[in-house]
Amino acid sequence: MRKFRVCIVTVPLAFALVGLGLVVSASPPFAAASGAASDSLVIGSQIAPPALDPTANASAAIDEVFDYNVYQHLVQLDPKGAIIPVLATGYNESSDGLTYTFKLRSGVSFSNGDPLTAADVVFSLKRAANATSGYPYQPLVADVSTVTSPSTDTVVVTLTHPDSQFLYDLAAYSNGVVLDPSTVATLATAPIGTGPYVFQSQVSNYDIALTANTKYWDGTPKLSAVTFRYFSSSTTLDSALKSGEIQVIDNLASAQDVSQFRGNSAYKVISGPTEGKIDLTINDSYGPLKNLKVRQAIAYATNKKAVLKIDGAGYGTVIGSDQVPGDPWYTPSVNKTYAYSPAKAKKLLAQAGYKHGFSLTLTVPPYGYAETAAPLIQAELAAVGIKVVLKNIAWALWISKVFEAHGYQLTIINQVEARDISEYGDCSYYWKYTGCSQVSKMLTIADEAKTPAAGVAEFRAIVKKINEAAVIDWLYNPDQLTVAAKDVVGLPSGAVAESFNLSFASIGGTLSATAKSEGFVN
Amino acid sequence: MAEPHPRSVERGCGSAIHEVVMSSAQRRVSDAMWSYAKRVAVMIATLFSSSLVIFVALNILPGSPAEVILGTQSTPSAVRQLTVALGLNKPMWRLYIGWLGGLLHGDFGTSYISHLAIGGLIGQAMTVTGPLVLMALMMGLLIGLPLGFAGALRNGKLSGSVIGGVSQIGMAVPTVVAGLLLILILTVKVRLFPSSGFPGWSDPFQAIRALLLPAFTLGVVEGAIFSRYVRASVLEQLRSDYLRTARSKGLTISQALRRHGLRNAAIPLITVVALELSGLVVGAILVENVFELPGIGLLLLQSVNNRDLLTVQDITMLVAALVLVINMLVDMSYRFIDPRLRMTP
Repeated sequence: MRKFRVCIVTVPLAFALVGLGLVVSASPPFAAASGAASDSLVIGSQIAPPALDPTANASAAIDEVFDYNVYQHLVQLDPKGAIIPVLATGYNESSDGLTYTFKLRSGVSFSNGDPLTAADVVFSLKRAANATSGYPYQPLVADVSTVTSPSTDTVVVTLTHPDSQFLYDLAAYSNGVVLDPSTVATLATAPIGTGPYVFQSQVSNYDIALTANTKYWDGTPKLSAVTFRYFSSSTTLDSALKSGEIQVIDNLASAQDVSQFRGNSAYKVISGPTEGKIDLTINDSYGPLKNLKVRQAIAYATNKKAVLKIDGAGYGTVIGSDQVPGDPWYTPSVNKTYAYSPAKAKKLLAQAGYKHGFSLTLTVPPYGYAETAAPLIQAELAAVGIKVVLKNIAWALWISKVFEAHGYQLTIINQVEARDISEYGDCSYYWKYTGCSQVSKMLTIADEAKTPAAGVAEFRAIVKKINEAAVIDWLYNPDQLTVAAKDVVGLPSGAVAESFNLSFASIGGTLSATAKSEGFVN
Repeated sequence: MAEPHPRSVERGCGSAIHEVVMSSAQRRVSDAMWSYAKRVAVMIATLFSSSLVIFVALNILPGSPAEVILGTQSTPSAVRQLTVALGLNKPMWRLYIGWLGGLLHGDFGTSYISHLAIGGLIGQAMTVTGPLVLMALMMGLLIGLPLGFAGALRNGKLSGSVIGGVSQIGMAVPTVVAGLLLILILTVKVRLFPSSGFPGWSDPFQAIRALLLPAFTLGVVEGAIFSRYVRASVLEQLRSDYLRTARSKGLTISQALRRHGLRNAAIPLITVVALELSGLVVGAILVENVFELPGIGLLLLQSVNNRDLLTVQDITMLVAALVLVINMLVDMSYRFIDPRLRMTP
């Protein structure tokens, strides 16, 4: 009996020891074992998609993987931000701006084999525009009146009123995805689209595996498999690229990390435009912040160039309103309205009756750019007499307390939505801008303008108006910073769309002239 | 009714004594059953109250699932609409009953955020956390038992003091620090192990290899803790009267320990190992985040961030149940190890 007991303990332990020894000695180094095959790619990222269905959740991480790669739209944005026809071969806008006619591409099928029909497009657009659809971006297409297909290769959309941003919104946001009606019940678990890649599997919060769509209408993609892998720490993410476990970091969460890769011939650093606006958002309805002079003083007190240099590692553009260089109404002159001047800031504060300053709380969401910028802003505002207390907060709480309940004074956030200037016409929006109803009227004028030029002129007027009102303090438009092993070809040069478009990606090889002209990088 | 002395039972061979033995044995069995039943009842009551605490605590957290799903697109009306669609507008007590009823049927529900079955998510995560915890426990015992015995037997000698010192340091090092140090030494410098991630069980060799370092990170600290308890427990037995008697019969120290001391020394150790097993599950949450392993810890953390309340509730409840069951089994196991406890009702 005693011997038996001894056996119970020692035999498994001995087996375990021998087993562990064997595993360690017999296995090749991990990086070599798990490194991607020559035609597959592992992309490291920091924010894991919380779900798989882009039509049910606003998270940009879902669009990054699935939009354009698995799902496609009638029209999409290329990496430079131009609207290009994809599932449509062309489109036509009526002179009154109320009717859009799309010619459908032939020979397209979904990855499950179902052919793409005009009825599928009608179904998808109606589903997106339906007020009870639950699409996070439904309000953007709420002006869709009818969607019909007069013939098998034509889809006609009519709007209730002219909307100069209709095509752009259809291309940029997941509202535009074309779905196979027979698969909508399983979008959460088994995404099916017409794109170059097919969803293979996922380990929740850890990775998502895609494989090449062999039925893809534009030819099978060069990569046989793409895996998106998620890391909770940027240190581990950077190490994974260095050890060869991954070949690409989609976007450095902390731009300063670029110094580890810049100048190293083993890597390429790709920087390109985004639609993001890193804002020091001001609650215009809070005490001293109601005063225009105080808000202008804050704008003068923040050294945006210095913030861009440190927070964005110099990759990006200083902005002075809700605009990025790719916007049709981009007005560079407003970027200089509040050139850094602590003296002017102090003067304005004195005029507003705050000669001896006052105190504010800056609520900081859990993102690298906000956590780096916050102490810089704190020091700059302290220099003009505004004492800032930093308060770090979880994302769920930020949404709930800051965004929904407006319970904040200052916050820093990357407003990533493309061409979202219409939010300044929304009186319930969280910066509580008092000029919202005037902007709302200007937006209607801009959308209903007879010529595109007249529309752009009206948008420019809005850009200037909100700049003069210093509604918030716009800091900079950050670049996307993609780092890749040097032999990875065909990555998108920017992130104007939320998709990390891998249509042309390959390991080695050269890029077609078309892909290059659209903004993919050789 | 007077109980016969246990010894007389063991010696007994006459018929009268035999009857007494039978009734006494039956009574012992029923005593045991009664005490087990009481223990199970206590556990169920504790589980029930834990479920209530977990549910209330999570549901009063600010930040609703609908708000997080809609993110910066959330407007009060959209949030209301989605809350209804998710079925979260029902009264709290109905949500609680629904959740508890599901759990009793083994149904963990569907995630509000990913719309995936939570049972499947937890199952997938357990294929990482389960082996990780067991490997860590094994490593802890592999390190702790020999070190503890050696420490006790060499008490007072220089080597004994060195063992004591090393284990003291091991106990003081936080798991996360140990993990980061090991990553730095064994993956970045020597490249013996992968620094992070888990390749899945399709290749068991690679899977175990990916878990070795995280398991060692957890196990080395546990080993230090175990060795302290083993040392103390063995030392106590070595100093006891019965062991001195055993040695005076002519047994060597190790013979005396094997025959008489181990069983006595094991009682406090089983408690410690069981408690540490619960601790390991909690420690795994930290280690999984350091090594980026897709286990329960990562799932829990992401679910908290996404306000995936049902998933958080399920995982918390599962961990609570695990701890309670382990503790119950430990309590029950005492009766097997220590015959003296079987005598007392």
